[in-house]
Amino acid sequence: MGLLQNIIFGVITGSYIAIAAIGFTLIYGIVNMINFAYGEYLTLGAFIGLFAATALPIPLPVAVLVAMAGGGLVSIVLARAFFTPINQTGPVPLLLTSIGLGIALRNAIRLVAGRQARYYDTEATTFRFDAIPDLSVGSVDLLGGFFVTSEQLIVVGSAVVVFIAIHGLLTRTDVGIAMRAMGDNESLARVRGVDTQLIRDSVWILAGVLAGLSGVLLAIQTNVNATTGFSEILQILSAAILGGAGSPYGAILGAYLIGIILALSTAFLPSGMGGLSSAIAFAILILVLLVKPSGITGTEVREA
Amino acid sequence: MSSDNTAHVNRRAFLTIAGGSGIAGLSGCVGFGGEGDGNGGSGGSGGSSGPETITLGQPGALSGQWDFLQPGISQGTDAAVSQINEAGGPLGAELEVVRRDTAVDPQEARTVATQLVENDDVVALIGLFSSEINPLWDFLQDLSTPVVTPWPGSTFLDTRGGDKRTPTDISDDEWVWRTVVGDTVHTSGSAAFAMEEGHETLGVINGNTEGERSYVEGFLSAYEANGGTVAERVEVELGASSYQSALSRLFEADFDAFLVSLPQESAITALSDWSDGDYGRQPILSDTLTSQAVIDQVGSDLEGAWGATPGQSGPNYDTFEAAYSEAGDADMNAWTPPAWDAVQVTALAIERAGEATPEAVQRNIGPVSRSGGTKVSTFAEGKEALANGEEINYEGAATPVNFTQHGNVFGSVSINTAQNGEFTQTGEVSAADVREFVEEGEY
Amino acid sequence: MSALDRIPSGNGDLALLAGVFCFLIGGLFVLTPLQVQLPNMFYVFVEVGILFVIYGLLVLGLDLQYGHTGLVNFGHVAFFAVGAYGTAMLSAQDTFVGIGLGYPWPLALGVGVVAAAVVGLGVSATSIRLRGDFLAIVTLATAEILHSIFVNFEGVFGGNVGILGVPRPIAALVSQADTRLIATLLVLGGITLVGLAGVTRLTSAPYGRVLRAIRADELVTRSVGKSTVTYKTQAFVYGAALAGLAGGLFALYNGAVAPGFFTIQVTVTVWIGMLLGGAANHRAVLAGLSIIMGIRLVSRFALTVTPVPSDVFASIRLVVVGLILVAVIRYRPAGIWGDAQELGVDR
Repeated sequence: MGLLQNIIFGVITGSYIAIAAIGFTLIYGIVNMINFAYGEYLTLGAFIGLFAATALPIPLPVAVLVAMAGGGLVSIVLARAFFTPINQTGPVPLLLTSIGLGIALRNAIRLVAGRQARYYDTEATTFRFDAIPDLSVGSVDLLGGFFVTSEQLIVVGSAVVVFIAIHGLLTRTDVGIAMRAMGDNESLARVRGVDTQLIRDSVWILAGVLAGLSGVLLAIQTNVNATTGFSEILQILSAAILGGAGSPYGAILGAYLIGIILALSTAFLPSGMGGLSSAIAFAILILVLLVKPSGITGTEVREA
Repeated sequence: MSSDNTAHVNRRAFLTIAGGSGIAGLSGCVGFGGEGDGNGGSGGSGGSSGPETITLGQPGALSGQWDFLQPGISQGTDAAVSQINEAGGPLGAELEVVRRDTAVDPQEARTVATQLVENDDVVALIGLFSSEINPLWDFLQDLSTPVVTPWPGSTFLDTRGGDKRTPTDISDDEWVWRTVVGDTVHTSGSAAFAMEEGHETLGVINGNTEGERSYVEGFLSAYEANGGTVAERVEVELGASSYQSALSRLFEADFDAFLVSLPQESAITALSDWSDGDYGRQPILSDTLTSQAVIDQVGSDLEGAWGATPGQSGPNYDTFEAAYSEAGDADMNAWTPPAWDAVQVTALAIERAGEATPEAVQRNIGPVSRSGGTKVSTFAEGKEALANGEEINYEGAATPVNFTQHGNVFGSVSINTAQNGEFTQTGEVSAADVREFVEEGEY
Repeated sequence: MSALDRIPSGNGDLALLAGVFCFLIGGLFVLTPLQVQLPNMFYVFVEVGILFVIYGLLVLGLDLQYGHTGLVNFGHVAFFAVGAYGTAMLSAQDTFVGIGLGYPWPLALGVGVVAAAVVGLGVSATSIRLRGDFLAIVTLATAEILHSIFVNFEGVFGGNVGILGVPRPIAALVSQADTRLIATLLVLGGITLVGLAGVTRLTSAPYGRVLRAIRADELVTRSVGKSTVTYKTQAFVYGAALAGLAGGLFALYNGAVAPGFFTIQVTVTVWIGMLLGGAANHRAVLAGLSIIMGIRLVSRFALTVTPVPSDVFASIRLVVVGLILVAVIRYRPAGIWGDAQELGVDR
């Protein structure tokens, strides 16, 4: 399989990391905290979607919408209970609280849902494109035949829809513009009459909705259990920070970069080192942070 | 330093109380030793008529990586215990099990083992994983309590454990007994079958955790010794969202069959990806993957895939299965029959010993399980035979439970193939054939 | 003056005295036929106590980094692991897989500490300038990368099996189980108390004042001419070295190292202990650590009296741990014994 196939795999992985990373980075930019419990939002979205799909007689796309709504609801409830009251204490207490909340949530989910992994009932069709020429450069095939499944196309399609919707939200709606203003300079936004608490709440809801969608997409690819979302948190975080914390566009870019790096490193590393692919993603994150602490697109310099 | 605000918890008081009580507690214990000590380390022995309850400890995976397997083990253990108690119990006492969670974490396992042995007064530990036994080896030797475990396949334990065929002499014993067939052995069975099926070239995809690697190492050493060649081997992380890149790389090579050694959830993701990618070729599954969930999730592409599992073909599997299915409806897994065997053989050892102490159990595990006595299939039969003054040879559910010098067992390996939506046994590699792959004294 | 008046106090001298005393008593048990009787039911407490004093060195190092200098290090277990693996690999004889060089253990211990300090230097050189929560992420990522490396390079680090066959100096000299446990506790406890003395002395000197000034407001500190980067780097490296010492001692106590001993659980436990006790107060963080480890220990015994099945129990315990962390930050951010005003968290 050529480079093209691996890049396609990377794009697919990047897509659901991107959806989650947008929510994560918005929280970072506007609420000014790294939310380490975000993985649990994905997990809860996956569970809500699964419950909706199996317990109620609704088709899968509707269950996904239910999961998104559920994710938004969960997010705002948790934010109001745990994060809003300590908003003024600074990024480190908020980070630590999110770590504690994440531990509590993961184990509470395991208590309620039990240990067995559950699965979404889906069918996927594969589309093959074998007629493409190989275009070899040395031992690497640049193109070559490739395939995609219908599930994968849906993931990428959802991501594109989300990107367009977010772009529209941020540029054309009052709420979105207020979000950007707050992300830029909170005091100035408040002076201009922006209700900062309302905008923060909106960000929580939006991030929850995105987490719900990403969680369901992830669960369709793998399974639903208490650690479904937690296993992705470091990649989501890396994507958001890599792209420039606070910038949704940066998060998208960072997510695809991480996805492609993961795919290519699995494909081209010496075979004994296959288990190191996520370590490589982190190493790249650290490298970028050292060279350009504001990330790829960020303008704000995050120095102590 | 800040002033002593009365609203703060008085730090000095806390330290004084903590320190004082510690010193007071220990002060009565310093000396030159030698006199009768205040320890009551033996297992629950009371008056001269024998104990009323005998306790076994079970360090379990109640949370953590393998927690979905524990319900089967717990049910198998409990079924064995109730059957033993119905037959009168070892030495007429009631057998009970204390189960504590280790989360498959060696640090927790150490604390749990200490607590079970020193506080709960157990006479043996029924449990512990490779990842717990290996780093705690020295500690377990010091603990001097028999560990009869159905879990570990690790090759590390091939030459460690058991009584070295000198049951009465404890000084050379290494205390760890395995009722499950080691990886070295059952992977040899699997490799032998692969060669029989004509798969002369092989691809491998495995996870980077110990159990998965150990399985592959065992398989490959027997496979290559038999003339097979490995075309490509790809190692991956667990819990990834997609294994497409790894599969794409693996299938660039040319081979007849490919071995999958991953924990169940990651394996399902990988095999689903394999099915989506239409890669084809013959899948060979590691023993943990021959479960219904895998077929259910991966679908019809898995028809014809096979895996070799140990532990389902002991001489008395039916006895075990009858008792197990009555005891509840937890899923059975490959470690459940060995768990049953572990409890049975320990109880029989206590019965033969006539006393319930760890040393006595250790001395008697070999004699009740090795060949040369009346064959028994249950505790009741064994108890009766021992009462008649006979030596016994316990034959178990997973294997005939004839412990080698290093406390390991041999068993036959059944080949299970996915047919018509479920795994059915389609072949067997006998214990004798499997034994050929293992050097004398190395297991 | 009575003898009591002559005992120096303050500046960690009391801790130094207590530490040397414990070390000597422990040494007495190790080197002479003097024995101890310990009722079996206390074994588990002493074992957890040994783990507590090892983790105590970790929390002291972390307190130096965060409590005094404001550096958010969420990868502390990485230095613990480097110290442990370094010591293990240098001194192990007959390890099953991986490297074991068989050098004498004092040398190995020293190398372990230096290795941890060097890694600390590397991490700080690259990240010390990052904002607080970013530093947390980088240190966390570093810990994950190291964990990955230890697991994947099986030939060097032993993979999941780890490095076995590490010499155990105390166990080799003492064969009676009770005495061995107590002696280990006293010797390691002594070392931790000496560590406490050292850290207290360091931070009560003007050196400590600079560190606390950096934590309070780095810009101002820089403006009065202090090279904040140097101070921060030093604090970070000392903290890493302490963690490396803890790791080396752990390896020599356990006789083996494996990745299972160095998970993020260790970092979380140490952080909760520090925040619970009160960051920037050395004795308080040790007390906080003792509380969190005590809760976990006592709750094991609660299993026999609670009506819930044990798997549920295990999850409940972890939920409680997470909620404790949340509650401490919300309601008592200075910790039980900390000074809210000094830490800047009073509201």
